[in-house]
Amino acid sequence: MARILVVDDSSTVRDEVAGFLTKNGLDVATAVDGKDGLAKVKADAGLKLVVCDVNMPNMDGLTMVEKVRGELGNKTINVIMLTTESSPAMKERGKAAGIKGWIVKPFKGEAVLETFRKLAG
Amino acid sequence: MTDKPVSKVLVLDDSPAHGENLKRFCEENDLVGLKVRKNRLFSVLRSNIDLGAILYADDYGGSAAANAEIALKIHAVRPELPIIIRRQTAATLDDLPDGMRRVLCAAYVSSDMAALQKLIGEYIFSLEYPNALVRGIAEITETVLAGQFKRLALSCDTPYIVRDRIIFGEVFSLIPLESAWCRGYMMLQTEEEAILDLLGGDGPADTGADFRRVNSLLGEITNLIWGAFRNRYVGDGAALSGSQVQVPLVVNHKHKYISFGTENPQLCFLYTLCDEGSGRPVKLYQRFVFNLSWSPEDFKEVEGVDAMVESGELELF
Repeated sequence: MARILVVDDSSTVRDEVAGFLTKNGLDVATAVDGKDGLAKVKADAGLKLVVCDVNMPNMDGLTMVEKVRGELGNKTINVIMLTTESSPAMKERGKAAGIKGWIVKPFKGEAVLETFRKLAG
Repeated sequence: MTDKPVSKVLVLDDSPAHGENLKRFCEENDLVGLKVRKNRLFSVLRSNIDLGAILYADDYGGSAAANAEIALKIHAVRPELPIIIRRQTAATLDDLPDGMRRVLCAAYVSSDMAALQKLIGEYIFSLEYPNALVRGIAEITETVLAGQFKRLALSCDTPYIVRDRIIFGEVFSLIPLESAWCRGYMMLQTEEEAILDLLGGDGPADTGADFRRVNSLLGEITNLIWGAFRNRYVGDGAALSGSQVQVPLVVNHKHKYISFGTENPQLCFLYTLCDEGSGRPVKLYQRFVFNLSWSPEDFKEVEGVDAMVESGELELF
């Protein structure tokens, strides 16, 4: 069972983030969009942290988080958005859905590793 | 790099008397005049993808018939490029043969360079690009590229205006830019093999670089630039006025040609990444095509953008 799920439609970002976290000893799974991410959250009870993009095909990241909280009733899994977006309105929507934090891309792993470890613990 | 875009014009005019005049005109009007030997004209036209116009002389071919033939050929090879002709006596196209008249856009005489200036404004610099926008685009893109290619030297040419529609390289990305003051696209064009070489050097040895990695990398670079552009220039006030008009985009693979359904000039940036070890440059052309809406008078940066959390840092709630 993975502890962290990285959801991004870009394979470059998935490889970069998952590769960094794996190299630092964390168990990581990946999903290619919000729909895939929702299915993986549903299927893997061991997940503790979701690192999720916003703009993705099929289902965007914020909708995915809202469905995780609503449809799946999962109120405990931690979510960090990793996105190019920085609009206050989107952040407010994320906060309302209970996300823990927001990172504007590009991903700088060393800056967030310890926080990820705590949230995935 | 200056913030004010220039434009490259192909000068097909051998007049020594007019040469100095034209050189000065180019310097004063943000033009980069390119000369070419006659025997290389069409190879240059086929390979040069970033021209704004052609300045042609009515005695360039040596005879009226040869002149018409060259003009028709130029138009056949690059129909999107305006051809402005210098006439000996009067700034008119009326006395020229029908076929030639169809491929030329306007005429001027050397004694009236103000008329040429007006034509350049009409055919090349018809869209005004705010300096802050031009500077900001370059800053955003250089930051993204420097983040993605940490070990490479990066440079950016002076931005320029192009009229041509030829696609550089083998791979390009396209993403819409939508705001209250602009609607159009950003396009990034590059060469697959050059990027593959970079990935081959950087990537894990067991994965092998293939074109999908090039696609993904170009997609992510596009995404990062797009996101930064939105954060800086669009913000939450992205309300679009008026109807959401769309026009078909046409890509002709055979001729490496892309049409956005408009004759509008495009704002172009050329970035060069260079691995100092191999010395091999990677060129990345970035084009902005505001084909659906352009209101530079409403352009503004999002307030408080500097106060936003720095990229890559975690903002905890």
